[in-house]
Amino acid sequence: MKINVVKSVLEASDTMARENRDRLDKAGVTAINIMSAPGSGKTTLLQKTIPVVMRSGRCAVLVGDLQTTRDAERMADLGAPVVQINTGRGCHLSPAEVARGIDYLDLSAIDFLFIENVGNMICPVAFDLGEHLRVVLLSVPEGEDKVAKYPTLFQSADAILLTKMDLAAALNYDVSCIRDDLSRINTRAPLMEVSAQAGTGFQEWLTWLAGQRRV
Amino acid sequence: MTIASELLTQTLLAVKAHEAQLSQRDDRPCVEQVEVEIGLMRLVVPEALEMAWQVVCEGTIAQGARLSVTEMPLSARCRLCGRTYEPSIDNYQCPQCNEADMDICAGNDIILKTVTCRLCEG
Repeated sequence: MKINVVKSVLEASDTMARENRDRLDKAGVTAINIMSAPGSGKTTLLQKTIPVVMRSGRCAVLVGDLQTTRDAERMADLGAPVVQINTGRGCHLSPAEVARGIDYLDLSAIDFLFIENVGNMICPVAFDLGEHLRVVLLSVPEGEDKVAKYPTLFQSADAILLTKMDLAAALNYDVSCIRDDLSRINTRAPLMEVSAQAGTGFQEWLTWLAGQRRV
Repeated sequence: MTIASELLTQTLLAVKAHEAQLSQRDDRPCVEQVEVEIGLMRLVVPEALEMAWQVVCEGTIAQGARLSVTEMPLSARCRLCGRTYEPSIDNYQCPQCNEADMDICAGNDIILKTVTCRLCEG
């Protein structure tokens, strides 16, 4: 006997993501899912960003890693609540984990929620967490071909940050390769070149971020 | 693994919902084949899903069930000119205006289409 089902397999996951977005919307919170390979500078970006955001508003962080609380510790003294989520074996954050993370936060007390996903260029792309925007990081040492190699990650981005730009000269890095690949993958997201080490490029990022605030 | 587990859950729920029709005396239904459609944007490797499927089904009424995967193409709508088109996974440019600024309309779904059962003893 053949049973016709026609049902979304990830319905539970997608429903939970919608519920997360509803909770965030009701509280007037803008949630940003930050994705990249491990070591591209997601936590460093937040270490530089949080103190500036806190001057004019309030924010919180959910940070995902398989193990350790090291990232949460790095961000602990910046004045924003930080919740570390350990996924164990999970290669991406799930909307259920984000829902549990949000339970620890007073959403009425924040404007921005930064969700630092598990470092991975493939699996996080496929899972809506309930975020409003996606920011993708690519660091110079990763090479010039990652946009073409991981197109779905960059296609889903609302903004793309090219990090560790202070290494570009030493590595003879050609940013035009990135721009050329993005012309086929994503022409909507701005590409911002930043360096935490040199302290360059952050104003463009912070201005973009301020413009995304929903309330 | 997440997808394989969710697929098994939906499969078992479908069988449960039809249990009265499927069962006869001492025989109980077991799953023979499951058909699933997967949008290309989900980045699922069919062979990997099939392997995960066999693992999660062990010890259940779906143990040994065939998984038939059909990959579904992408569909996009250009945000600038409104044209609907079929991008490829590595090129999202609108054929009309050449910009890659689109909403993905299809290619994100994983749909359980059918569950085929037969009767097993006991």
